[in-house]
Amino acid sequence: MSAAGGSNPEYVIARVRARRSALFGDEEYRKLVRMGPAEIARFMEESEYEAEINALGSRYSGVDLIEYGLNHNMAKQFNDILDWADGRLYDLIARYLRKFDAWNVKTIIRGIYSETPRDEIETDLIRAGEFDDRLISRLLDAAEIEEVVELLSGTIFADGLEAAYDDYEDVGVLVPLENAVDRAFYEQLLDGLVVGEETKQYREFLEAEIDFRNARNALRIARSGADLDPTDYFIEGGTLFRAAELAALATNPDELVSKIRDSRYGDRLSNALSDLEEADSLIGFERALDAALLEYADTLGYVFPLSVTPIISYILAKEREVDNIRAIARGREAGLPPEEIEEELVIQ
Amino acid sequence: MIEAIEPLMTALQSEAASGPAISPSAAAALAVGLAAFGAGYAERGIGSAAMGAIAEDEDLFVNGLILTVLPETLVILALVVVFLV
Repeated sequence: MSAAGGSNPEYVIARVRARRSALFGDEEYRKLVRMGPAEIARFMEESEYEAEINALGSRYSGVDLIEYGLNHNMAKQFNDILDWADGRLYDLIARYLRKFDAWNVKTIIRGIYSETPRDEIETDLIRAGEFDDRLISRLLDAAEIEEVVELLSGTIFADGLEAAYDDYEDVGVLVPLENAVDRAFYEQLLDGLVVGEETKQYREFLEAEIDFRNARNALRIARSGADLDPTDYFIEGGTLFRAAELAALATNPDELVSKIRDSRYGDRLSNALSDLEEADSLIGFERALDAALLEYADTLGYVFPLSVTPIISYILAKEREVDNIRAIARGREAGLPPEEIEEELVIQ
Repeated sequence: MIEAIEPLMTALQSEAASGPAISPSAAAALAVGLAAFGAGYAERGIGSAAMGAIAEDEDLFVNGLILTVLPETLVILALVVVFLV
């Protein structure tokens, strides 16, 4: 099964499946939406999140405690998976988890730009990606963005960041740097992916991720009316759009919507697309894109139980759980009624 | 040339007719060995999955052990051949 010749996938998948069954279900969510932040923290203390809540409990309280607890736990879980996996399996999982590396790099660059103290930047990091603690602490120590760019040479972000740094010096805004980081992440997703029968489903999922990102960017540019060239933000690798096509579509949202409707995602997104046409609500559409991705996650992992797909399915489910609990905690803090919060949740 | 080979051929044929290349007990031993090989291959995957499950939840130790040794039945059934020969 594995290219390394060992039985590594079996081991990793058994552990991941056990963890997946420990995720919160409908019943827990129903209880959680009726709790206040302090009660949610206590509820989490009696669950998988015990260690994190206890460790952070003395420093933070309320919603902050929940948020940091969630981030730490997610980082620990994903790091565990990367620790267990070997060989080809590691490569496949790391492709997706580098998302958190991209997040960390962006957070650090933004922190330096806005001159935020080191401690505050550190709490916002999610150490779930491939970067080790040493690299992260050196990145945190950097005083200038240029230093960050230098430290990242040798990572997947190196080429794009170096080119973007010149742009940054010219214009003085972070957009080119952040774009370069995102682009590096999305372009390595499919780069050199060996596609066998088993990884086909995984590739489809990654392509959907890229397509949705392109669609989202195009719609946002179309909506904002800003004078931006959408091809600058185009990410290669998807199946839905070509760069030149996207430029024409971004000026014409109706055509963009009908293009998505005719694609292979049309069935999954048809309700959301009608909403988008009627209500003009981009938020609703973006949530529908998330839900469609999650639907992929649900079906992943049943066809090839010993491939990478059950692991990716767990990673997505875990991310969703973290988002849900955060939404509940923030919603309760803002005083939203339980029914309204329930609508915001994405529960499988 | 042909005259030289002919006696050899008949000699080989008569030996082949007298018995199989390996004796029945050797064949039986081979069968058990191949079955054991298959069982080992099956246990490799199950064993590592069982270890993963036990690492998450120690209560699964008994289940894991049972499932890990299930392919062992292959060897036991193959052992029947030894008594039949």
